[in-house]
Amino acid sequence: MPVRGVVSPGSAGASMNATQRYGARMRGVGVLERVGIVVLLLLLAISLAAPLFVTDPVISVGPAFQPPSLQHLLGTDDVGQDIFARVMYGMRTSWLSAVAVIASAIVVGGLIGLVAGARGGWVDSLLMRLTDTFLALPGPVLAIAVAAALGASLRNTVIGIAVVWWPWYARLVRGEIRSLAARPHVDAARLSGVSRGRLMFRHLLPGAIPPVIVTASLDIQILVLTLAGLSFIGLGAPAPSPELGAMAARGADSLFTSPWIPLAPGCAVFILAVAANLAGDGIRDLFDRG
Amino acid sequence: MARFLLVRAFGAVGVLLALVTVVFLLQTAVPGDPVRASVGVNASDEVVEAERERLGLDEPLPVQYATYLGQVVRGGFGESLRTGRDVRDDIGAFLPATLELAGFSMLLAVVGGLLIGVLAVVSSRFATPARLLFVGGASVPSFLLALIFIYIFYFKLSWLPLSGRTSVADAPEAPTGLLLLDSLLHARPDVFLDALRHLILPGLALALVPAVAIGRVLRSSLIEVYRSDYIRTLHAKGLPPRSVLFRHALRNALSAPLTMAGLQLGLLLGGVVIVEAIFAWPGIGLYLNQSIAFSDLRAIAGVTLVVGAGYVIVNTLVDLAQAAADPRIRL
Repeated sequence: MPVRGVVSPGSAGASMNATQRYGARMRGVGVLERVGIVVLLLLLAISLAAPLFVTDPVISVGPAFQPPSLQHLLGTDDVGQDIFARVMYGMRTSWLSAVAVIASAIVVGGLIGLVAGARGGWVDSLLMRLTDTFLALPGPVLAIAVAAALGASLRNTVIGIAVVWWPWYARLVRGEIRSLAARPHVDAARLSGVSRGRLMFRHLLPGAIPPVIVTASLDIQILVLTLAGLSFIGLGAPAPSPELGAMAARGADSLFTSPWIPLAPGCAVFILAVAANLAGDGIRDLFDRG
Repeated sequence: MARFLLVRAFGAVGVLLALVTVVFLLQTAVPGDPVRASVGVNASDEVVEAERERLGLDEPLPVQYATYLGQVVRGGFGESLRTGRDVRDDIGAFLPATLELAGFSMLLAVVGGLLIGVLAVVSSRFATPARLLFVGGASVPSFLLALIFIYIFYFKLSWLPLSGRTSVADAPEAPTGLLLLDSLLHARPDVFLDALRHLILPGLALALVPAVAIGRVLRSSLIEVYRSDYIRTLHAKGLPPRSVLFRHALRNALSAPLTMAGLQLGLLLGGVVIVEAIFAWPGIGLYLNQSIAFSDLRAIAGVTLVVGAGYVIVNTLVDLAQAAADPRIRL
């Protein structure tokens, strides 16, 4: 990433109040990244509110294969469903699933990383060996296999991806915990007789949260793309449900006659991914510089 | 070096063992009763039990695992529920097409990635386009790219073919199964060109994301190298920028992009499933896609094992190549 005007971290903070510190942090975030954060939040809000202003995505609203018009912003598909409504619902499913994968990866990976980092010794070696083994396998292919074996459904696709996603968080959290464990405040806590559980959750875990947030925000883009890809090959909710990948796959047959049918959901994935990419960079800058 | 090689080889074997274990567990974790599903819902309990015994599924799990492991080590993946053939033979028939496609797009990705990364650093005019490419290129779903390519280059311009590996009826199929190679071996330039034309669109659709990722990593490691003292010394003693770049900077910046290329292979192999489906490319991605639609677990397991093993082996080789090139890389 290009090096931007860096606000001197830490040192200046002492003489600033909270608002000034926040302002200084925000200045470390580039314009494009800020736009990304705003667009992403906007997309999230619009897609969450979709039920309020678009038609039901699984009913026919008119003739099939209508090109985009004022009445149907993105036209209608092969069975006369409103594509704009379906894309809105699809985006919602898309980022909600991405959040679900990240949440489960953080819980599983975070716990493994926390235990490995805090206990050290053979527990650490064993857990990290396991983590590295999973990291060495080709994630997307394994995710496809898990999702396919469990049977095609949105829940199983989320599980399939989460199975290959947690090791990254385990590594990250473990590394953070190891470096935190060597800090004086942890020694002080240990010497004052704090229990092991309290030490882990009260004195070690909070320090690992910022890097986890940064990684999670960078992951949203990859997950949106991965989910769309799996949905495209039929691993996702069954047919009439509005999912971006599945919509593009079914619409591919009409590419030459009604190109908007497969291209609209594809472009929605692209826009969501670009916004998530920029927003992720912005959030990283926010934390790295702060 | 010998110790490094040994440890890495052992590590790879461990990972492969874990892969087999995961794939085995997947097959036992299937919801419902696959045996009943395969003999038919109306079969009597005796028939189901007999089939279960025949397949060895009445044994305790550790025994089943040992049997499966032995079978896989000997190269057997069992019989496909969909095609009725041995999964190994199916994969053998579909694999060459995928090897050709994946190899071609990996080549495009590496060349393209090097180009993007170097240009982004040395050319100030290219800095902004590169930035857009890094954000946009990494965000295009491969199916969207594939559909747009087909729409433009096949439908609108009629420059390139829509699907398949070749439109020549008597294209040679032996000895390697790789059309580009076989056509050269049989001295058929027409088939070679035709196969190349068929490769371009799916190859590009697969290559964009890894190319951008490689370019991005190369860019940051090049910038890092350019900040070091020895580069300043080279500039100061009057070495032309071109030799500084190609003879000194690039070599030391290649380690991270090489690792990235190995990692991207995993993503590319996932993308193969999508792109092969769109271009009706007769490879294991298409085979996997059809097996998913049929819930053909043995086929899915077989493909996962073969692809996973290929990925692990390639990445181990990348590690070894790096260790051979850079004596600082050790355990």
